[in-house]
Amino acid sequence: MRSVFRTTIIFVGAMCLQWWWNTHLAYWGAGPQFLLVLTVLVAARRGTVTAMLAGFVWGLYLDVARAELFGASALTLTLIAYGVGVVRRQVDLRAAGPLATMTFIITWAAFLCHGLIGLIFKKSFEWSGPVVIIATPFLNAGAIAVASLLWEIGGER
Amino acid sequence: MQRETRIANYVLGVLSTLALLLLSLPLSTPVRSLKAAMGYVLDPLSYHGEAGYARLAGAPERIRRLLEADIENERLHAELRRNEWLTTTVSSLSLENERLRRALALKIPGVRSPVWAHVLERDPVHWYRSVVVDAGSDRGISLNDPVLGPRNGKLVAAGRVVDVRPNTSTVLLLTDEGASVAAYLSLGTLEGLVQGQDGPNLRMNYLNAEVQLSTGDLVYTSPTSSTFPPDVLIGHVARVNPRDPFLAFQSVEVSPAADASSLQELIVLRSSAPAHAKLAASLETAP
Repeated sequence: MRSVFRTTIIFVGAMCLQWWWNTHLAYWGAGPQFLLVLTVLVAARRGTVTAMLAGFVWGLYLDVARAELFGASALTLTLIAYGVGVVRRQVDLRAAGPLATMTFIITWAAFLCHGLIGLIFKKSFEWSGPVVIIATPFLNAGAIAVASLLWEIGGER
Repeated sequence: MQRETRIANYVLGVLSTLALLLLSLPLSTPVRSLKAAMGYVLDPLSYHGEAGYARLAGAPERIRRLLEADIENERLHAELRRNEWLTTTVSSLSLENERLRRALALKIPGVRSPVWAHVLERDPVHWYRSVVVDAGSDRGISLNDPVLGPRNGKLVAAGRVVDVRPNTSTVLLLTDEGASVAAYLSLGTLEGLVQGQDGPNLRMNYLNAEVQLSTGDLVYTSPTSSTFPPDVLIGHVARVNPRDPFLAFQSVEVSPAADASSLQELIVLRSSAPAHAKLAASLETAP
């Protein structure tokens, strides 16, 4: 019961945090992608299936705010969760260093995935802008280090 | 591990297919319905989130105001304690004054009770003439009641009531051309009549032509005034007018202490008790 409650809090809290940061603290469109970061963290800590399901719904939440390409973020986060699950078998992702490096690379992979989805379904590459492309991986790497620490403090598996 | 991988593959297949369907058929009814449903479920998150954020963002300001109010409350409590002693002293002096007046067979002035009123409106065309206040006959206001205004912690003469309605009253300001009040100058206690001029300043007429007048002299209401209580500050002499050889008196320009253009609250000195107070008094005295 307690675990379900915690999971619900993390699930809804992540969406709230992402909305709040995007609305009030993002500069030039750059800000940590908390939902991507948490998808990676959940995949590394709780397994691929849970991360894929959470990532899919979180992706739909991000897609609702977009005018087009409904499903792009859902697909991207699902693939990211799966990819982390695959890497998890080879690399110890419980340590903060590998996790941050993994997130750094995955962020660019996510941008690329988004761009390609746009190219396929909208006939134009989805380009987020140089500031976002450059700053976001660093912000995400920092965010996952903090999130990992909080995860440990919170006593999550 | 094999089982977990298999399940992960199945889930990936299902979710990816679903996402690709959403991307491929953005205008189909099921996709649009799903998007609408997701929006319906998730929109409250941002809506209530923003409301909550606005509430939290205003919290420091509200806390600051609360602390300031608490400090002010403490200060006012201390002031009230000091004023209690002052009130006791004043009432004691008032009783002594009344006893002495009786002993000297002097007329005892009527007791007036003050009531605060807010300025509701003023005539923009005739700025210095009158204001309407939010106290009327329901609060015991009656015609010709004197009206005072606050100025640097003191009460100064502002005008008199010329029209009383159930909930509002019209106050004719001293600056109105038709307003006048008997007054005296603090130096030499020279009596005169202060009259409004429909402008920011007043004019004090009928001053003894032989006396040397000077600017800065304070002007108070005279004990002979039929409207105002005595010794209420009206203003100060701003300019001494040149003597007119054809007049038997001289006059001065008076700058009023109550700034007619910035009056917010006024105090009306009621000559009669409010209707409900009268009713309560009559009920108390009834057998």
